[in-house]
Amino acid sequence: MPRFAAALLTALLAAPLLVACGGDRDGGVTLHWYVKVEASGSYRQAAQRCSDASAGRYRIELEPLPQTSDDQREQLIRRLAARDRTVDIMGMDVIWTAEFAGAGWLRPWTGARAEQVSAGVLAGPLATARYQGRLWAAPLNSNTQLLWYWKSRTPDPPATWDQVISAAEALPRGRNQVAVQGGRYEGYTVWVNSLLASAGTQLVTDADRPARARAALADAPARRALAVIRRLATSPVADPGLSADTEVDTRQAMLSGAAAFSLNYPEVYAAVRDEAPALLPDLGWTRYPQVVPGQPSRPPLGGINLGISAYSPHPEQAFAAAACLRSAENQQVGAVRGGLPPTIAAGYDDPAVVRAFPFGDLLRASIAAAAPRPATPAYSDVSLAVQQVLHPPASVNPDKDVPELRRTIDDALASKALL
Amino acid sequence: MTEAPPQPPRTRRKRRPRAGRRTAWLLTAPAVVVMLAVGAYPVGYAIWLSLQRYDLRFPSQRGFVGLGNYAAVLGARVFWTDLGATAVITAIAVTAELVLGFAIALTLRRGLAGRRAVHAALLLPYGIITVVAAFAWQYAATPDLSFLSGRAWLGERWSSFAVVIATEVWKTTPLAALLLLAGLAAVPEELMDTAKMDGATAWQRFRRVMLPGIRPVLLVVLLYRTLDSVRVFDTVFIQTNGANGTETVSLLAYDQLAGRLNLGLGSAVSVLLFLLSAAIALGFVWVFRADLRELYRPRPVEPDEPDPEDVW
Amino acid sequence: MRRLGWYAGSAVILLVAAVPVLWILSLSLKSPATVTDKRLWPSDPTLANYRSIAGSALFTHALLNSVGIGLITTVLAVVLATPAAYALTRLQFRGKALVLPLTLAIAVFPPVAIVGPLFDLWRALRLYDTWPGLVIPYLSFSVPLAMWTLAAAFRGVPWEMAEAAQADGATPWQSFRRVVLPLARPGMITAAILVFFFAWNDFVFAISLTSSDRSRTVPAALAFFPGDAQFAQPVGSIAAAAVVVTVPVLVAALVFQRRLVAGLTAGVVTR
Repeated sequence: MPRFAAALLTALLAAPLLVACGGDRDGGVTLHWYVKVEASGSYRQAAQRCSDASAGRYRIELEPLPQTSDDQREQLIRRLAARDRTVDIMGMDVIWTAEFAGAGWLRPWTGARAEQVSAGVLAGPLATARYQGRLWAAPLNSNTQLLWYWKSRTPDPPATWDQVISAAEALPRGRNQVAVQGGRYEGYTVWVNSLLASAGTQLVTDADRPARARAALADAPARRALAVIRRLATSPVADPGLSADTEVDTRQAMLSGAAAFSLNYPEVYAAVRDEAPALLPDLGWTRYPQVVPGQPSRPPLGGINLGISAYSPHPEQAFAAAACLRSAENQQVGAVRGGLPPTIAAGYDDPAVVRAFPFGDLLRASIAAAAPRPATPAYSDVSLAVQQVLHPPASVNPDKDVPELRRTIDDALASKALL
Repeated sequence: MTEAPPQPPRTRRKRRPRAGRRTAWLLTAPAVVVMLAVGAYPVGYAIWLSLQRYDLRFPSQRGFVGLGNYAAVLGARVFWTDLGATAVITAIAVTAELVLGFAIALTLRRGLAGRRAVHAALLLPYGIITVVAAFAWQYAATPDLSFLSGRAWLGERWSSFAVVIATEVWKTTPLAALLLLAGLAAVPEELMDTAKMDGATAWQRFRRVMLPGIRPVLLVVLLYRTLDSVRVFDTVFIQTNGANGTETVSLLAYDQLAGRLNLGLGSAVSVLLFLLSAAIALGFVWVFRADLRELYRPRPVEPDEPDPEDVW
Repeated sequence: MRRLGWYAGSAVILLVAAVPVLWILSLSLKSPATVTDKRLWPSDPTLANYRSIAGSALFTHALLNSVGIGLITTVLAVVLATPAAYALTRLQFRGKALVLPLTLAIAVFPPVAIVGPLFDLWRALRLYDTWPGLVIPYLSFSVPLAMWTLAAAFRGVPWEMAEAAQADGATPWQSFRRVVLPLARPGMITAAILVFFFAWNDFVFAISLTSSDRSRTVPAALAFFPGDAQFAQPVGSIAAAAVVVTVPVLVAALVFQRRLVAGLTAGVVTR
């Protein structure tokens, strides 16, 4: 029995070593690309194409990250804090740049390389890859939200939040929801940020100068933005489960017909096309609603940038691979197969992309007008502060919450607050 | 429980002089060393970290801040909200587990047929991974999936608590029931019969005979489940991730440590949670010391039973 | 009449204990098209979810990690705890009164309390995201658990035989190996199962101290299941994985039912 146990123990301890000994087969290095799972397989295809084109210099292996941005970040920052040498390329949510760069976890893009990956890139997405004057990542995909609606229920699309809610309230029960991301996660901060920007203010000023960064939140516009949340959350057209809703739920609400309006990414179009093709002709889209009538809205800005880990043992190959992954051809594949909006402006004129995005021009215009979330190294703390003060949506009180939000964000910027 | 039972005078036979203290220590030392190294050392390190400003995202700002982190934690409303949520879950779940556990134990004691099946069924929730149980209940509370109800249970505070607590109760009541059943075995059947013949009603028999008999076991279950519930994490993490005011202190500590890499603040929350557990345990042992002594009092020694001192 | 009441009680217990398990089983048999049909029984059962997780390296690695880490923890904990439990039940020595409070104190503290320091240590020692990185913290909880269970079991062992062997001139070590160990085996098996359950069930350490296929165990993999679309909850896959990891535990629980119950209640019954 003891001998058996010893043998078992040896075998078990050796097992992971054997498993870890794969890799580096054909002379070139294996690069690990950590990125969210992309259902259509366009990332996998790009990785394969770049590996093949490298003529044996490197092979890109996909390492799937969890579903939500919050979980993805949590996985990555722990590896980076542990100086993990198996992370080479990271598919970074656009909001991580300042934090990762500030902590010294990224290698900057410089010289010809930087020029290569910034040429022809839309200004908004490019700005999300920069921090304190340097380029820290290569923009891969952009993203933004549109207002999706059913033409049969709403012949004339509304332009403001108040109109959206009023129009929904006029519709019959059970088919009148306004579906937004109200769960306590990053998606909620996305909503809040766009409302604030559309109202004419922002969360943080001097975001990229940590010593001077402060909560902005001009009083009147901030109250106006929060009043939208309050009105929707306390209206009968809000989903009873609003405070737990994510992109999945808001998309599902469109598919099931429960929602008359949904604020969501272009994947709604792909979902309706693939899962409910009969409804596709009825699906309408328009620009993100305004908060102040006549004042152009500032839609959300999402997307993925490619960063190179400071602890990667193969930076040269990693830079080359990342530059290949974000190439115009690969962005085209991503747009056509995966519905991922390109960051290269000319990508939207590609005939194949035009076919994939009947709303391509609106998408490009929305991205150009989009409001980025604050580029502070303490961004994740700021986001938690927003969720802490303003969640659940039905509890929002515009008069009381603005000063409290300001105070909490100031604490969060100092990263000293419990959140 | 940390109280040693009263030591009887050392007048018993001396056994096996060869296998003396040294052997005993050699046998015990590895386990004790491991427990100290992997248990006590990290706790000490947590205390040390809690006295520093130490955020791995801002490594250059590391420094000693004394009790600054504790001030930040105790001064934050979220800490007290989370403490409240933890208290709500603990109070309701533990009460429900004791009541239901007792009912199940009584049923099992009376169980005529199918006793084995019920026993096996009880091991079902016990053996299942907590995360799996949490998913099962979460899906049962999700309107798009559930066979039970079309209500968005996890959409607001008190119904979220209901789902979390139901999961906890489902998962842990079986163990409470088994422990109480074992305790019931110590209540002599004859005593109950005598009481019955004396004309005591069922309630009186329960109050006067059964309850005093299993009181010590009941207290052990209460203590064990309270300590377990105060650190509740898995269920809440899966089902709500702290939304709608259901965040517990464990989750709060985890968020500071894993989500923000703020080891200083996170350790301060951890240490406070640790102190809370310790205070509950010590306070409990102090208040109920007489009952616990009863539980750990050795039975009359049979001829070849070991030293009462051996029994711990 | 009263009899009927007890029967009904038993039936209710059975039902309540079983339904959530059946519900997960049912979800695992539903296809993406029927997963939202809101029925307890799948109308058109399919094994597609099982095929999909069997082909997913994420799940198969997690399973291997869970089994491997669980077994190593179990072996080490039982090997460390057996001699200690023997000494505590059979031998006299100074400091003995301190060992029990120590084990209890460790067993009650919240795991999240040592996650931060362990992460900081592990990243320095390069144990982050490795098997030992999980086995070590598991030992801090499983050694006390095993000691408690074993000590309770040892008190029920007829030690006269061991003493007779020693009287015949065997050394303490010989008597321990030849006599004590065989007698202690049932208790060791019980302790082993309880420790394995503990390691198999852990979530806090598993999500805090791992980050990849290399060492992530099943509960952590379930929580971070990426699914096949960014914004889709992979309900079917999670349910199938949940069923796969539940089956072995249930089999063990049923096979060792009596011993397990004895082990679980060891603290209060043997008094």
